[in-house]
Amino acid sequence: MSLILLENVKKTYISGEINVPALRGIDLSINPGKFISFVGPSGSGKTTLLNLIGCLDKPSDGRVLVAGSDITRLNRQTAAKFRGDNIGFIFQNFNLIPVLTVYENVEYPLIMVQNVPADKRKKRILDLLEKVGMSDQKDKFPAQLSGGQKQRVAIARALVTEPKLVLADEPTANLDHHTAYKVIGLMHAMQAEFDTSFIFATHDPKIVGEAEIVLTMEDGLITKTQENPINREVN
Amino acid sequence: MISILKIAWRNLRRYTRRTLLTSSLITIGVALVIIFSAIGNSFKSEVIGILTNSNLGDLQIHKHGYVGSIDNLPLDLTISEPNLHKVRSLLNNHPEVKAYSERIRFTAMVSNFSQTTNMRLTAIYPEKESQVCTDLVERIKEGETNPEIFVAPGSIVIPLNISKGMNVKLGDEIVLVATNSEGSVNGMTFKVAGISENILGPQGKDGYIHLEDARALLRIESAEITEIAIKLNHFDRLDQITLELKSQLEPISGEKTGKPFFEVHTWEELSPFASISKIVTLLIVVVRIVLVSIVLISILNVMMMSVYERIGEIGTIASIGTLPGKILALFLTEGLMLGILSALIGNVIGIGIILIINAVKINFQFGMMTLSLAPAIPVAETLFSVITVVLISALASLQPALKAARMEPVDALRHV
Repeated sequence: MSLILLENVKKTYISGEINVPALRGIDLSINPGKFISFVGPSGSGKTTLLNLIGCLDKPSDGRVLVAGSDITRLNRQTAAKFRGDNIGFIFQNFNLIPVLTVYENVEYPLIMVQNVPADKRKKRILDLLEKVGMSDQKDKFPAQLSGGQKQRVAIARALVTEPKLVLADEPTANLDHHTAYKVIGLMHAMQAEFDTSFIFATHDPKIVGEAEIVLTMEDGLITKTQENPINREVN
Repeated sequence: MISILKIAWRNLRRYTRRTLLTSSLITIGVALVIIFSAIGNSFKSEVIGILTNSNLGDLQIHKHGYVGSIDNLPLDLTISEPNLHKVRSLLNNHPEVKAYSERIRFTAMVSNFSQTTNMRLTAIYPEKESQVCTDLVERIKEGETNPEIFVAPGSIVIPLNISKGMNVKLGDEIVLVATNSEGSVNGMTFKVAGISENILGPQGKDGYIHLEDARALLRIESAEITEIAIKLNHFDRLDQITLELKSQLEPISGEKTGKPFFEVHTWEELSPFASISKIVTLLIVVVRIVLVSIVLISILNVMMMSVYERIGEIGTIASIGTLPGKILALFLTEGLMLGILSALIGNVIGIGIILIINAVKINFQFGMMTLSLAPAIPVAETLFSVITVVLISALASLQPALKAARMEPVDALRHV
């Protein structure tokens, strides 16, 4: 069964009196546990497609099914709950909550979204922080971290709720070459360990080279699908 | 809930300067309301205490129409003996009436054999008057101050302004000349037994003589009087008791007119200070309104800024699954926390200043009275300020919080 199924998905933005088509009819099926990258120039529709799969936006036409749920039928409340239960997010600008420490940022979705009891939270968070190599920084605030460290915390936050799917929009865009590779390696390791699907929107060749499936987008359409044989040792 | 409180508290600390500025504004507002209210109420109760305990009593009963002509102190609007018996019977059996004093009030010419002037007089039985006006003898600065006999037959207590104006001293003899209700003029000699200080209002400059002397001077043969001053057991029940007395006296009608014979007035209707008291009350209300405005504007402003500055953050927490209700709660808690903390600090500062004022013991002159400022901690006002700040903070935070909760995560994330 597909984790993600898109049927003739269209998205049109209305800017004043002008209709701007962002997606022109996408059909796509993605199986669980994959490491997938959407690539393409700016304005090709990568982020729009990611927002639709992430249940953050609704298509103008077509159906989007994620983990068997038609997300076009969800209201604000149920969509938020669905995201909290099924999807993790990693952002280009890390988007950590500045008033919370590293530990609290990872803890946030467990308390505020999934209401996980305290005794279960601690072990899960410490394990994840250990895996992303941030356990010794757990009491620091985001402002005290480097870009790479922040993104590692963001990865831990995205995975702590044990989602079926993690969506990452340009996750390495604000990182230097070396750090970007380390972060990609970490995400790969997490995907392997938790069997979580990772989907990226990027035009970073580093990520493209690491993806199992590369979907190239142009003008709101998927124009090319390329499968890479992945045989990578995780750092 | 603890997490929401923690996040709200840290967000307040995140913008320390802005939080401190807003908090200071609310704190000062709350402290001012408490202090102003305490001082205003202290001033009011001090003056009301002096007026009711020195000459007015808590309320008075007159013949219908008397108060309308009170400036002339008419002697033709008296409570006749049969009606007086009815009132006595009512007052003697009323559980809330502590004491009452029958009076004849009139104007007279007073002469020290070299100068003559006008004077207002209250004729009383001193032992009864002292029970109604418990502080009256304290106002007597020279002479007899025994509550039972401070004005004996043949003696007079004169106000300070007459004493000074006519250079009359204790023990001097003066002559009172008065016209009775039938136009007959009579004069009697009195010995000055006391000199009383003046207080606010026309009655504050009355002289006192014995009621039997007044009857002799005015050639009143029956037991008629012009007014009855009443002291209640519980001053705070004044309005209720007044209504009761009015309803009980209403059925007693005049023989000729058939209309109600009596009228009942509280001290407020008899003293010009009632207007000042109302102005003080109004000012306290104005200060409260200012406080409400300060809280509303400052919290609304700070929370709006907070929401606009954190649109990206709102997008993040919404995208990772925070329910709109929790986002609403986060911002509401932040606004409420700011309001509550400021209100509590304002209360502490306000109460502290009130305690300092009490310790310093500030005296000041109001008209001809020396007042001592002794503000009590206004429990109702402190509760009012906290409740008001909480309600207004919630109200002011609601709009920004709703805006945050209703934000589409995809739009909010674009602000990152």
